[in-house]
Amino acid sequence: MKAELSARRQVFLYGLMCVLLIPFVFPTWWMVTSSVKPISDIFAFPPHLVPQNYDWTTYRKVFELQPFVRQYWNSAYIAALVTIGTMIVSSMAGYAFARIRFPFANTIFMIVLLGLLIPAEVTIVPLFQMFLKAGMVNTHWPLILVPIFGAPSVFATFIMRQFFVTLPTELEEAARVDGLGRFTIFRKIALPLAKPALASVAIFTFLHSWNLFLEPIVFLSSADKFTLPQALTQYTDAYGGPMWNIQLAAATLTALPVLMVFIIAQKHFVEGLAHTGLKG
Amino acid sequence: MAEVTLSKVRKSYGAVDIIHGVDLDISDGEFVVLVGPSGCGKSTLLRMIAGLEIITGGDIRIGGRVVNDLDPKDRDIAMVFQNYALYPHMTVGTNMGFSLEHRGASKAQIAERVNWAADILGLSHLLERYPRQLSGGQRQRVAMGRAIVRDPQVFLFDEPLSNLDAKLRVVMRGEIKTLHQKLKTTTIYVTHDQVEAMTMADKIVVLNGGRVEQIGAPLDLYDQPANRFVAGFIGSPAMNFLDGTITSEGFIAPGIVLPLPEAAHGFHGRKAVYGIRPEHFTLHDSGVPAEIVLVEPMGSETQVTMKLGETQVIGVFRERVALLSGATIRVRPDLASLHLFSNNGGQRLI
Amino acid sequence: MAVAQNNASSESRPISPFWTIARRDSLAGFLFIAPQLIGITIFVLIPLGLVFWYSLHEWNVLANTFTYTGVQNYRMLIEDTNLLEVLGATGIFSAGLVIFNLSLALLLAVLLNQKLAGITVFRTLFFSPVVVSLVAWTIVWGFLLQKNGGINGMLQLFGIEGPNWLREETTAMISVIVVQAFKNVGLNMILFLAALQGVPNELYEAARIDGAPRFKQFRRITLPLISPTILLTSIITIVGSLQVFAQIAVLTQGGPGLSTTVLVYYLYQQAFQFHFFGYGSTLSILLFVIVAVLTFAQWQMRRRIVFYES
Repeated sequence: MKAELSARRQVFLYGLMCVLLIPFVFPTWWMVTSSVKPISDIFAFPPHLVPQNYDWTTYRKVFELQPFVRQYWNSAYIAALVTIGTMIVSSMAGYAFARIRFPFANTIFMIVLLGLLIPAEVTIVPLFQMFLKAGMVNTHWPLILVPIFGAPSVFATFIMRQFFVTLPTELEEAARVDGLGRFTIFRKIALPLAKPALASVAIFTFLHSWNLFLEPIVFLSSADKFTLPQALTQYTDAYGGPMWNIQLAAATLTALPVLMVFIIAQKHFVEGLAHTGLKG
Repeated sequence: MAEVTLSKVRKSYGAVDIIHGVDLDISDGEFVVLVGPSGCGKSTLLRMIAGLEIITGGDIRIGGRVVNDLDPKDRDIAMVFQNYALYPHMTVGTNMGFSLEHRGASKAQIAERVNWAADILGLSHLLERYPRQLSGGQRQRVAMGRAIVRDPQVFLFDEPLSNLDAKLRVVMRGEIKTLHQKLKTTTIYVTHDQVEAMTMADKIVVLNGGRVEQIGAPLDLYDQPANRFVAGFIGSPAMNFLDGTITSEGFIAPGIVLPLPEAAHGFHGRKAVYGIRPEHFTLHDSGVPAEIVLVEPMGSETQVTMKLGETQVIGVFRERVALLSGATIRVRPDLASLHLFSNNGGQRLI
Repeated sequence: MAVAQNNASSESRPISPFWTIARRDSLAGFLFIAPQLIGITIFVLIPLGLVFWYSLHEWNVLANTFTYTGVQNYRMLIEDTNLLEVLGATGIFSAGLVIFNLSLALLLAVLLNQKLAGITVFRTLFFSPVVVSLVAWTIVWGFLLQKNGGINGMLQLFGIEGPNWLREETTAMISVIVVQAFKNVGLNMILFLAALQGVPNELYEAARIDGAPRFKQFRRITLPLISPTILLTSIITIVGSLQVFAQIAVLTQGGPGLSTTVLVYYLYQQAFQFHFFGYGSTLSILLFVIVAVLTFAQWQMRRRIVFYES
């Protein structure tokens, strides 16, 4: 399998991969290029792979039709809070489940893992009622609290636990002898060494929050509270049909920054994901 | 510095007893080695002294103070781990000063102590490095440095040399011993290697199956092992054992009669185990016949595997024995260094 | 002894004997898990109980009535003719997605595991949709799949008249499966790649010496050795497929007809568009039972299909 490949085989493999790449890469290209095409060109035949006329006003309209800056900020700050909160909650819980001996630890872990089995959709009705009673509907609280403390954080806890289990116990014992208490050991020894696991937790959590769609449309009703995924679907004309080029411009603004970050840090990204806990 | 006292210390996991009531007195400044085969409970005992394992029963005192329920950090001990347990994300200097940082020492104090320790251990030029950039021996030294900066009451070593190659182990053995002579801190050292125990200890504690078999100075254990287990464990190559009966004609073992000392008179007619160390045979024409199985010349001495009657034993001779297997030599056991053990329980008879 | 602390009392036990090391550990453990445990209780366990409670009630939001009706909602479940279609669509969607996603992921992982220059560039590109905002990705595909959209435009260049992808039952289902698969196949691909790289090279060398052809090596060595990963990814993908909502909402709104109305989308419609909270809760219970049964079944299959576990 690792033997040197013949030239013919290499050409074949490269060719195959390039063909396979089309559905992965072309949509993004099409999104970016179509977003600057005038509406008349957008369904032109034959399709223009590179725009022939540019219409930059689409980008101005993105901001005119909706409080897009505000919505961008909503998504960004919610995702940031959720990411940080999840990292704290799940690294603490994961550490305790992996390292501290306390009564019923296994039973409690099993109960917590139940969260993995419960799609958000199952509990959305009662959650809506609970937040309604608490006066938190049409606020961002449901989008912040539920992911940090509820079912979505269980996956993060699982990743963290799997990582902490593999950390040499001697390091922590040395720290205990060195005079550190439980919490200090966690903060100064365990957490710094858990950076790869924390990184993948951060990535998963951020993407999960950034992509959240059902929860915003259930919980939020005013445009200035909307998050990006929800906002993207609102660029419609008087008849409810999508304003394609404006929608694509907004989609580009939503997708490109994360994509850039990913391409710059792809090594940490991909390898972090591959090497943490998920291998079972 | 302090004395350490264990009284009736027990450890069990559920219904399984790991340590069955150990009593041990360690005086101030003593170098004590806990030795025994793997699974004998020596590491568990050390970790109980450190506070890393909970004590099921009994008391542990350090400097007169009962420490049973104290956290390791409050016991004023330092420990060197088998895998060194250096914090991979900190430099050598930070590793060494880390414990002081958490005991409220000032920056200047920490720097002073770290430099002092680094100086003693020859680590001064490595303080900025990270553990992964060090060799095995250097890591070992850093682990020791981390222990000594704090000037604790007791040093605990858990098989610290087992990850080093044979040559380096001998060097580090010497360094630890030298360090102890310099600092005179009470030290408890765990190893499975009886050579380490013999060469380093003021006092050896031989453990087996969670019980103390014998406590004593290295040479006392070598000369006067309390039972067959200690006799077989201390000394390399190990002592030879032959089963048989004590009679007035001598010790009757399968296929051979071996000479006995005067002191064996009281035991005539008794079944026993005849114990003789390899180095306590001499080549002598008046000796008993031994058929050679294998000759291994070491240069300074010759190790001969041979058959005394039907039992295979090992002899070590200063002389060079240039004989082939199948030949017969005559060997004489040194009666002054002979051991007789009871055939049940293995207690020492003489 | 400048720095070390020393309690002067000699024989006295320095701290209250109640706080033994074991007890202090227990306390620390509970404090560490407290946020998660309280969170799970409030946001998972209580809602789960409430869902069940609601499912036993007729809940009229407009008239503001909440009456106990016992198993009536469950009887409705059996009599709901739409539900059969919905479950059919859910089944086709999940099965299609798992098969397409896993085989594509495995193919890509095998390709990326070749010794080729610039392979990480390909890896990055194949993975990139994972980080593209889900709704953005779906909107672009929706745009491409229009009757006069990019895909049909390309097909027309070759003289092929493409269908109206999202408006015909078969192609609509294929479309949502494919859009979802390309979005997330990168995750499974990376997991497979890590698993492939974990297969010791000596095994392939031994097989080559034994004269096993490439295909046989793959079937007899690779597949058994990565079977734990296959199981893991299939569980993740199936459970994930049952939660697909945004794609349906943006691409087809469940249509045409009920052809792409998967259970989650149906649940959303019943509860939040028609305000049948009681029946919506009953559908939630159904969804939970399906996820639990599938996960349990796959876990049980572990013994049969997983040849090897580390």
